[in-house]
Amino acid sequence: MADDQYIVEMNHITKRFPGIVANDDVTVKIRKGEIYALLGENGAGKSTLMSMLFGMYEPDEGQIIVRGKEEKITSPSYAAGLNIGMVHQHFKLVSNYTIAENIILGNEPVRKAFGLFPYVDIKSANDNIRKLSEQYGLEVNPTDVIEDVNVSTRQRVEILKMLYRQAEILIFDEPTAVLTPQEIDSLLKIIKNLRDGGKTIILITHKLEEIKRVADRCAILRRGKLIGVYDVPSMDTKEMANLMVGREVELTLQRKPAHFGDVVLDVENLHVENADHFEVVKGVSFQIHAGEIFAIAGVSGNGQTEIADAIAGLLRTTQGSIRILGREISSFTIRERTKTGISYIPEDRQSVGLILDFNLAEDLALRNYYESPFAKKSVLQKKTFEDYGNRLIGKYDIRSASGNDTIVRSMSGGNQQKAIVGREIEQDAPLTIFVQPTRGLDIGAIENIHRQILEERDKGKAVLLISLELDEVMQLADTIGVIYNGELRKTAPAADFTTSEVGEYMMGVKRS
Amino acid sequence: MSYRKKYLKIAVLSVLVSLLAGAVVILILGKNPLSAYYNLLQGCGLAPKAKYAGGKSMFTDLSSYIDYLTPMLFAALSYAVAMRAGLFNIGISGQMLVAGFISSVTIGYSTLSAPVAKPLVLLIGIVSGMAVGALIGFFKYRFNINEVVSSIMLNYIAEYVISFFIHVKYVDPVSRQSRNISDAARLTLHQIVIGGYKYDIPIGFILAVLAVFVLKFVFDRTVLGYELRAVGLNPTAARYAGIHVGRNLVLSMTISGALAGLAGVTYYLGYFASIQPRVLVSTGYDAIAVGLLGNNDPVGILAASFLIEIIGKGSTYMSSQAGLQSEIASVITGLILLASACNAFFMNRLDRRQAAKEELHRKKEEGGIQKGERV
Repeated sequence: MADDQYIVEMNHITKRFPGIVANDDVTVKIRKGEIYALLGENGAGKSTLMSMLFGMYEPDEGQIIVRGKEEKITSPSYAAGLNIGMVHQHFKLVSNYTIAENIILGNEPVRKAFGLFPYVDIKSANDNIRKLSEQYGLEVNPTDVIEDVNVSTRQRVEILKMLYRQAEILIFDEPTAVLTPQEIDSLLKIIKNLRDGGKTIILITHKLEEIKRVADRCAILRRGKLIGVYDVPSMDTKEMANLMVGREVELTLQRKPAHFGDVVLDVENLHVENADHFEVVKGVSFQIHAGEIFAIAGVSGNGQTEIADAIAGLLRTTQGSIRILGREISSFTIRERTKTGISYIPEDRQSVGLILDFNLAEDLALRNYYESPFAKKSVLQKKTFEDYGNRLIGKYDIRSASGNDTIVRSMSGGNQQKAIVGREIEQDAPLTIFVQPTRGLDIGAIENIHRQILEERDKGKAVLLISLELDEVMQLADTIGVIYNGELRKTAPAADFTTSEVGEYMMGVKRS
Repeated sequence: MSYRKKYLKIAVLSVLVSLLAGAVVILILGKNPLSAYYNLLQGCGLAPKAKYAGGKSMFTDLSSYIDYLTPMLFAALSYAVAMRAGLFNIGISGQMLVAGFISSVTIGYSTLSAPVAKPLVLLIGIVSGMAVGALIGFFKYRFNINEVVSSIMLNYIAEYVISFFIHVKYVDPVSRQSRNISDAARLTLHQIVIGGYKYDIPIGFILAVLAVFVLKFVFDRTVLGYELRAVGLNPTAARYAGIHVGRNLVLSMTISGALAGLAGVTYYLGYFASIQPRVLVSTGYDAIAVGLLGNNDPVGILAASFLIEIIGKGSTYMSSQAGLQSEIASVITGLILLASACNAFFMNRLDRRQAAKEELHRKKEEGGIQKGERV
């Protein structure tokens, strides 16, 4: 018999996918009107569990009880009928529709002109949505087109979409991943408002701070198993992190004081166009010294990855100069630049940084395969590949099913990234570029990569770090340049910035 | 299970399934499939026939089968080289025709002696095939024209332009084909009598087997092989690694064209001695089946072409002996192509089964598995 105080009960849920058990006998019970957080590393099974509540998968075993009644949730529309709504990590919006059109899509208010010809009553929809957005403090202009509005507005549209469909149980999947600190603040406020308005909130996240700030209770999952359900006010973030990872973790990094050397990278008035001949980098200048971590902070799509691609030679520069140790490299080929002294850990590790169908030894040699001792007179030396592979596997703790012979596609994201980082660091280049080095990785792997970035710096390398994670930038950088709309709005030593200041520059509201 | 082993398993399986399906078709036609398949082997000199005409033996058939096989082996290698770099060379037949025609009119109709003529035929075949391949690669690199489109178009151009020239200049009024080339230029030593029996000895076959092992080495052991594979699997990452993607595309099409050229001269100036106008041989297309079945591995292709050509070559004898249409052979070849084209699907099934097995194994070891529990 179901307990009345719970609005959702998921009892003994097991879900298997080929090769893995995504959820193993997980039981969560959610009270009406609470903020319930699901905490766990990547692959812990949080999203899978909620996908079952939202009707995207069905559990192999176990039962789901909603409002005291056992339900078989076979589709998202069935879930919507139970007033369950989900804001996905990747927004599902039609970019050339207006906000109102997106919200009513699939649920349009239809009226009949002259009692005969049906049409969508967009006018009343606009009014309704305006009212709804005022009621919950979710400011949007219903007639704006999605492609013209920023990420946090799009997220508010997703939330409104659920509210418009009278959702009572709201699932948020990693909602803060793409937001600036100010946007995160306002989102967390919105979530609290929704709870105070009587909604039940389920928050999927791996960010401990956010849970601490808003959640009432939290369930911790590890490798598909439920570790426990805890009252958030009675725990600190350190305890939560340890439970989540299953061992002691260092939340703060040990950093030595910086010793800057000579200028390694000197970028002057750099202009870059993207593939559509649209100028995305507009006159950027900065310098990086030996022993310095220079971080470019910014909201996604403001030209930061293009700066990295232009330095590495993947994108052509239209104007400006790039010098490595005083040598102008802007007319060099990609390989010449690498040889001059650039290591590059690209943003997209799977489609740029690795050849997924190569085996590990081959991918680890991707920078060196053509030169001695990897190749002699154009003949590959298998023994060198193997020895080199084994050395890097050991040194960088790259884990895989069968070592050198493992097809890289079958490895986990964290180990793929370790392979790239290991390969690039081994080049011993004076400049190392890291773009989004920890995206999608779990705490253990993030720790490892951060340690290596700091080691590079302490070895006297120049490091260019481009990251959308502001925490990462604040933790690692010696110098921060904030990019907005293709321009560096502010460049200064990291110590001169507070997190919220960086956030303001990132959003373009503040300029120096 | 290693990738290679897995692939072999799938290849053998798809051949067996195709033969089985072919057997059903033969049964429906009211014939005995086993004897029909045995006829195929007999037709290729791989099994003894009941009786032979004067001057012929099992080895006569075998030599003729090897002669028939040679162009296919070159063509399938041509397909594999392009595929390594991710290019689909569907213009092999056209490249064969160009090479065959140019070699015929320059050397085939000359009065050069055999020791001069034969090497020249090979050389001109290689160069002309190479030129067509390089052109396709260049179009791809410089103008980003899809190689499938440009090679199909070039197939048509080759077919009609060459048939025009054959009709106006080189036609044999009786056979309505191009005139036969000189025996000195022909790459097959035709009807050679050794020990009282006649043989067709294909010189090109030695070269083809050599090409198999050279390519095997290039693919697996050289910088070029590494780069071609990188470009074929992920051009973006290859570029990131500093590999010149365009140069590798052109290079792979050039080598592919050269091999297609060799297929052309061993076909038109070897197995045959003339060119039939307005016909594009099916070898270039069947080569795709052979390449697929052989997993684009040179040694795999050697095995696959032996197998597929048994069906092709043996079909004539089968149809005369068993009273079956020789098109049955094409049906079986088509089935093999279909089955091996599905290899990704089978590979996935194998992976899943293996994963499920491992999971079961792990659970058993943990002792957590209950009787009757679903896994």
